[in-house]
Amino acid sequence: MTTLVRASGLSKHYGGAAALDGVDFQIEQGRIVGLIGPNGAGKTTALKALLGLTSFEGDLRVLGRDPRRERHQIMQDVCFIADVAVLPRWLRVKQTLELVQGLHPKFNRSKAESFLAKTSVKPDSKISQLSKGMVTQLHLALVMAIEARLLVLDEPTLGLDILFRKQFYSSILGDYFDENRTILVTTHQVEEIEHILTDVMFIDQGRIVLDESMDRISARFLEVAVNPDRLDAARSLGPISETDVFGRRVFLFENVGIDLVRPLGEVRTPGIADLFVAKIKEQAA
Amino acid sequence: MDPNWNDSQPIYRQLRDRVVEMILEGALGDGDALPSVRSVAAEYRLNPLTVLKGYQELVDEELVEKKRGRGMFIREGAKKKLLLGERELFIKEQWPSVVATIRRLGLDMGDLIQQAEAQLSGDDGEGEQ
Repeated sequence: MTTLVRASGLSKHYGGAAALDGVDFQIEQGRIVGLIGPNGAGKTTALKALLGLTSFEGDLRVLGRDPRRERHQIMQDVCFIADVAVLPRWLRVKQTLELVQGLHPKFNRSKAESFLAKTSVKPDSKISQLSKGMVTQLHLALVMAIEARLLVLDEPTLGLDILFRKQFYSSILGDYFDENRTILVTTHQVEEIEHILTDVMFIDQGRIVLDESMDRISARFLEVAVNPDRLDAARSLGPISETDVFGRRVFLFENVGIDLVRPLGEVRTPGIADLFVAKIKEQAA
Repeated sequence: MDPNWNDSQPIYRQLRDRVVEMILEGALGDGDALPSVRSVAAEYRLNPLTVLKGYQELVDEELVEKKRGRGMFIREGAKKKLLLGERELFIKEQWPSVVATIRRLGLDMGDLIQQAEAQLSGDDGEGEQ
């Protein structure tokens, strides 16, 4: 398996405060990795570091290169959609395609055009005339037409309506992603991407609090709606969280065998959002 | 189209069940192609590995076969095989409790068989009676 990103002891301080506090992680080729964390957790700092947009301490390799010194080479194979997608507002759509064609050696213009043909974005429209959803479609068209090995998406669907959000991920999965490509995505809308991910990383206060494949998540974590008469038995197994859902106590267990929890009540695989809340609370405790 | 996944089973398993349902309903017949992994992933916004895992279950159960470079296809006799399984399941799991009910209620077997036969011949086993 090819490792595209390898961080060890990655740190970043703003004044006295640590935005990233000695973080270790790896991203393998062909994966869709979700980086999930509350505001100010260090998500954007981590992305900036690997895109060579900020200084940092520790070791970080992207496609085997150091983003501090070899940003130019890295960006030949890495694409980025930011939440504040900035395209010059006075450009027309077709001029934008020309511009990127001139800037990026791996840009396939006809691919971008055929993608745009399926949308309502017209070649002669000015970017300032496009809706936010259409700007994202244009941005997506540009990015998908570049033969990149790593695509970095920072809150890509922020502020888009549900139709555009669905279309966005359907396009990525239908027209872009394959086993030679790798996607790193951050989002607040966890539910929206949880079925898309191969791996998930939780980040909080500059530290990685969970780094696991989705396959292993279902083995490692179990959610149980515990029957009222089994509450004490459930507590004795050391749940990482206990919440009240419509009068039923729902427990979350980590690394507790399914045979132990099955007699307690109804067993499910927890959603990423619930798991996230539990892990962040556990950190704070 | 957005399927309603439930939390009690992994999605690849639910995907497998969905295909099985379609085979039993006749929506997918022998030799029919399954939609490509990519198109299912895009349509339902699932990781392609999840879709592949669901399809692999069907391959392991010998309901679906891979044809190199062409995709996945429903195997000859898949529905028959599924029905056999379903019949076995009925006889093993449901039938004993039906018999227990018959005994509990003191029903007469002769009457029941007569009634069942009338029902079956009345609608050729298709309709709702």
